Amino acid sequence: MKFELLASAAVALVCVGLIVYPLFFLLAESINVGDPQTFPPTDIGLDNFADLSLGVTVLLNTGYVAITATVMAVAAGFVLAWILTRTNVPAAAFLERFLEIPFYLTPLVGALAWSILAAPKSGFLNQILRGIGVPDLLDIYTPFGIAWVMALFEGTVAFVMISTVMKSMDPSLEESSRVTGAGKLRTVFKITVPLVLPGLLGATVFVFAEMLGSFAAALVLGLPGRFFVVTTAIWQYTLSYPPEYGKASALGVALFGVMFVTLSFYRWMVRRGTFATISGKAFQPRPIDVGPARYGLAAICWLYVFVAVVLPIAALLLTSFLRFATVIVDQMSFTLQNYKTAFTLDAVRSALINSLALGVGVATIGVFVMAILVWIIYRGRLPGRAAIEYVVMFPQSVPRLVFGLALLTAWLNIPIPLYGTLWVLAIAYFTVLMPLGVRTLSGVVLQIDKSLEECAQVCGATWAHRMKTITLPLLRPGLVAAWLLIFIASVREIGVSIYLMGPNSKVIAPAIVSSWSSAGTELTAAMAMIQTAAMLAAVVLLLRVAGKYVKGV
Amino acid sequence: MSTPAPAPPMIAVSDLVISYGGYVAVKGISFEVRRGEHITLLGPSGCGKTTTLRSIAGLERPTGGSIILDGTPVFSAEHRINVPAERRGVSMVFQSYAIWPHMTVFENVAYGLRVRGIPQKEIETKTHQALQLVQLHDAADRPASKLSGGQQQRVALGRAIAFSPAVVLFDEPLSNLDAKLRASMRLELKELQQRLGVSSVYVTHDQEEALAISDRVIVMNDGRIEQIGTPDEIYNQPVSGFVADFVGSANLLSGTIVGSGAQNGFVMFQLATGPRLTARYAGAASGTATTIAVRTALIDIRRGLGHRDDRNALEGRVRRRLFHGDFIEYLIDCQGNRVIVRRPPTEIVTEGEAVTVLFSAEHTILLDR
Repeated sequence: MKFELLASAAVALVCVGLIVYPLFFLLAESINVGDPQTFPPTDIGLDNFADLSLGVTVLLNTGYVAITATVMAVAAGFVLAWILTRTNVPAAAFLERFLEIPFYLTPLVGALAWSILAAPKSGFLNQILRGIGVPDLLDIYTPFGIAWVMALFEGTVAFVMISTVMKSMDPSLEESSRVTGAGKLRTVFKITVPLVLPGLLGATVFVFAEMLGSFAAALVLGLPGRFFVVTTAIWQYTLSYPPEYGKASALGVALFGVMFVTLSFYRWMVRRGTFATISGKAFQPRPIDVGPARYGLAAICWLYVFVAVVLPIAALLLTSFLRFATVIVDQMSFTLQNYKTAFTLDAVRSALINSLALGVGVATIGVFVMAILVWIIYRGRLPGRAAIEYVVMFPQSVPRLVFGLALLTAWLNIPIPLYGTLWVLAIAYFTVLMPLGVRTLSGVVLQIDKSLEECAQVCGATWAHRMKTITLPLLRPGLVAAWLLIFIASVREIGVSIYLMGPNSKVIAPAIVSSWSSAGTELTAAMAMIQTAAMLAAVVLLLRVAGKYVKGV
Repeated sequence: MSTPAPAPPMIAVSDLVISYGGYVAVKGISFEVRRGEHITLLGPSGCGKTTTLRSIAGLERPTGGSIILDGTPVFSAEHRINVPAERRGVSMVFQSYAIWPHMTVFENVAYGLRVRGIPQKEIETKTHQALQLVQLHDAADRPASKLSGGQQQRVALGRAIAFSPAVVLFDEPLSNLDAKLRASMRLELKELQQRLGVSSVYVTHDQEEALAISDRVIVMNDGRIEQIGTPDEIYNQPVSGFVADFVGSANLLSGTIVGSGAQNGFVMFQLATGPRLTARYAGAASGTATTIAVRTALIDIRRGLGHRDDRNALEGRVRRRLFHGDFIEYLIDCQGNRVIVRRPPTEIVTEGEAVTVLFSAEHTILLDR
């Protein structure tokens, strides 16, 4: 009992420390107006906040990109969710899986792929269009292009959230409207839309917050034309010589503030009674029979899959096997050299190996520690559990890049020489992925009825025996799922990695970025394909495990 | 009716208090369960009955009082004793059944035996015995997750009795079954209890179930014990309006005691609306008692006014008649009182008819509170 409390307190303290410590440094740095290298800061002031030279333009840029991307993502998400959950479109379950793939492709890979597809002049689509006599129609290196990529590859979450809301709506609410004498259309506008509206609004606010903190697409597509959003501006401040950590931190704190307010608003909306009619129960919604129109609706879904999955992957795959990126058939010259280079060039190979090693390591240790955290929060007896949960979930509301900056400042100012090693990356990944792991594992833990463990206890089993025979076997599918999710998130990580990787600790996502700006498109495509393949393999495994899990319990 | 055994009680609960932060779920209750006795904690949801049961099992830590199992203190606030659940040797059937989905029926039932390190051969014999008792012998090798509600209930029962515990605790074990299945499981449970000779504590909010399967019933309300007694005592001599109303169905009529007090255990009682009745005086009732209870099933109806015999009589008019199948319920306006009467479906009185209702003084219970 004493030991249990002590151990719980130790684990909770370490995890909370990992999160609070860097954020403290970020705040301190943002008000440091003296020498950026001194810590703790001696000259304190708000000048960094006042003197944001990139100023208004950056704010307008961010606003434009985030709003455009949110509108596109939510509109597409709503239409797709409605088609898949409410109509009898063919192969809905199959389509739903495909619609989640863009999320796993990552905005970075999406931006690269779309740059290959729609760069002015050289873009594949532009080449094809020129071939049929329409010159230079598309340009992805524009604010709209950035928003487009963000909507496609980060907006997936809108689709997932909205379809969850639609699935959890009791169909009898609509049926009672029909029985009362309202027609199909009237029911949609008077019942379905008002009921789904709070969920839709919630998704919009959440996606908007995500878009504000989005980094990769603006980095790849905005930087060449010196088009900055808040995140890339932070990055630019830290790249300048000497690095302006004060200003970067101030901008980071400001972005964090806006995102925190937005997400708090989202949580407030979710908690408010507006969701009362939407229960947590999953219903089997009765799909509307739309007749032959269902083939048209299916075509809309497949069009989305084509634009967000098939086109980007095809473009990357093709490019990765070419000496020179083109879609003009008689100019194509196929080669395996790009993959050979990727696997032999030391910088690239070590980045690949490091990323995989970090993924496996962080997932393995992470699942173990996060499982203990989940147990502390949801089953333990430690006082202040709600506060621990709040802090552990906190990295969610900090834009990844800002957290990277915070971690950079924090680990540079600690006497332990960790900076520039894989260890600091491992600790950073663990810190920012805590919310993901804890959320996944708590979902599983909460699904396991407490009485299953209690019954074993009453039967006479000791704590260790209960863990071995009941708790762990029941948790196993959830543990595997959490492991895979953390692995995927580690391998795709960029915001934190880009700040914390050193010359001897390269990882794949930032390596792809630097290869893109310094080496060729073809090698970069090969690297992106390798990263994508590793992640998709994990996704396929994940779906199998999750599927089995759903059937098993 | 059971007689007190000379041996110490199987379970002795004294002054049990259970609170969560500021909320007190159980407010100092005491009772005993004798050897081989089947006792039921009956009450509405939130009355503290399940919390009490779980603290006997060791799944809940009380804040005050003590629990003694077969002479051994397993919880004592005073002596800072709290034996963990796994070392109390009691058994429990959970409301949710708590069937482990990753094991077969056999493995579920054998769990308690395996935990005790019993030789394999004996485990097999005892598990099969338990499976036979709950009539699941054919399903031994089936995965436990693929069973119907009734079958899961049987697995839970088999698992609870397989390792021959002296005490079995039941937490609303039948509440998730449909009415028909519940009735037949009730009968099986009663027979099983008698065959095994275990002591049991059973928690339910279903008064019919409580009366049917228990040796004694403890009626709880708001963390306190309202009444302890045999099913017959609880039904026929409720001490409070709560018990009279919660167990069975009763008319509660208010008024005051008149005349010179109790004579041969009966008093004269004047209803607030005027009429005088003879009511049974339960003994403890104070002179200030203000309520009488009359069971809806123990009232007679005569067509027309003016019928009199040695029973209490009230006159009125039938306001509503509800056909329930097994009985008919009449709502009767009687001289300013609303009286509910349940009669067999053979006696039909029509709505609007003038009637006399008659009920014996024996069945007119003056309540303590």
